[in-house]
Amino acid sequence: MSEMNNERFEDLKDAYVLDALPEEERRSFEEYLAGHPERQAELDELAAVAGLLAFAPHEQEAPPELRRKVMEVVEAEAAPRRGRRESVFARFLGYIGTRSLAFGAAALLLIGLLSWNLLLQGLVENLQGEVRNAQGQVNDLQAQVRDEQDQQTQTIALGGTWADQGADAEVASINEDRIILVADGLPSVPEGQTCQIWVIKGDVPEPSGLFHPGGDETAAPITTPVKKGDTIAVTVEPAGGSEQPTSDPVLSAEL
Amino acid sequence: MADRGRQYLILADEDLISLVEASDAEAFATLYDRHGRAAFSLAYRMMGERQASEDLAQDAFLKVWRNAGSYRAERGSVRTWILSIVHNRGIDQLRSHASRRRTQDKIEATAPRSQPSEAFAETWCNSQREHVREALNTLPSDQLKILELAYFSGYTHVEISELLSLPLGTVKGRMRLGLKKIRNFFESRGAAVPR
Repeated sequence: MSEMNNERFEDLKDAYVLDALPEEERRSFEEYLAGHPERQAELDELAAVAGLLAFAPHEQEAPPELRRKVMEVVEAEAAPRRGRRESVFARFLGYIGTRSLAFGAAALLLIGLLSWNLLLQGLVENLQGEVRNAQGQVNDLQAQVRDEQDQQTQTIALGGTWADQGADAEVASINEDRIILVADGLPSVPEGQTCQIWVIKGDVPEPSGLFHPGGDETAAPITTPVKKGDTIAVTVEPAGGSEQPTSDPVLSAEL
Repeated sequence: MADRGRQYLILADEDLISLVEASDAEAFATLYDRHGRAAFSLAYRMMGERQASEDLAQDAFLKVWRNAGSYRAERGSVRTWILSIVHNRGIDQLRSHASRRRTQDKIEATAPRSQPSEAFAETWCNSQREHVREALNTLPSDQLKILELAYFSGYTHVEISELLSLPLGTVKGRMRLGLKKIRNFFESRGAAVPR
């Protein structure tokens, strides 16, 4: 095999990003790269182009049992660590709570200072002002969180035969531009079929996403922009989806 | 329905991967729901049958779970990272079963194809896929075939040259031209290559 040099690097870089170098050549290429880190960025760009091929395959519905198997392992491995690590939301709420406690303590300290030494009154007043400002900021932050939560939880329940059978499905509007269908307790669909979301504008249904009911909770983005008066519907279609609905809606709601 | 679960849905992939690094199973489930289909589709394209594809996708997602800390945002999106894990594991598996696939691929590789876009003539459900599809459709079939044999079937350039009875230099040249055309497709539209 020829010695690796700049010319050879140029010759092999396309095969390298496609994972198409034989083992020995790959090792030699990577050793050269380790000694020439300035070439890494160029290689990353080329790898991004090769990586686009990953988006090419025909879309296949992942089997629901795959999710179940993966999540079984993940849950089992996460459980022992749960006590030690909190979620971001919990940490965020904890942060708010801690801040409140901290400001409460600061207020008590102020009272003590006032009774202890009036000479410190000017300083205390300043501190009080700071505490009020900070408390105001916390209140604003909490209000912002409440607003955010209100915004996130704007939902419309879907009705239909699946809802009658106990499914709990909602369309959730998140930050205006993101609409998501979230559902619990959906019945499974037969092999070779999938659920398709439709946004119906007037009488015209537009395909707006596919999902396969699976796990405890199903969530699927609605890919068509919606406005008031549109109808969201879900039908069961052949795998890969249809251009027009081929069955009656199992869930629907007018916005 | 859990509001907490819904809150995860609005987080960006990069935020979710940070939570996964901190062993947050719910964040991982959200990532799986976003990218499971694309990962399984790639696994299926590489392995060619359902059980092996499930095993590959499972293996890859568990690697995502256990190695979330190795994700580097500057190297590309979370989706690209997940797909690269599927791809790398797939290549390893294909190479360990290389002899079994050789005959089947030889038949496929030598079969005439009417259009270079034939392998990609399906419905695409998002704009990124559409752009990639358009880019791939600009490739001549001989370039596309070599990219496919390398990327999806795990053949080295030497093996492809033997398989197609082409000089090694020709294989390398077609790889280079194929990748260049994909890049040019995006640049000619004033867009960056998606990462």
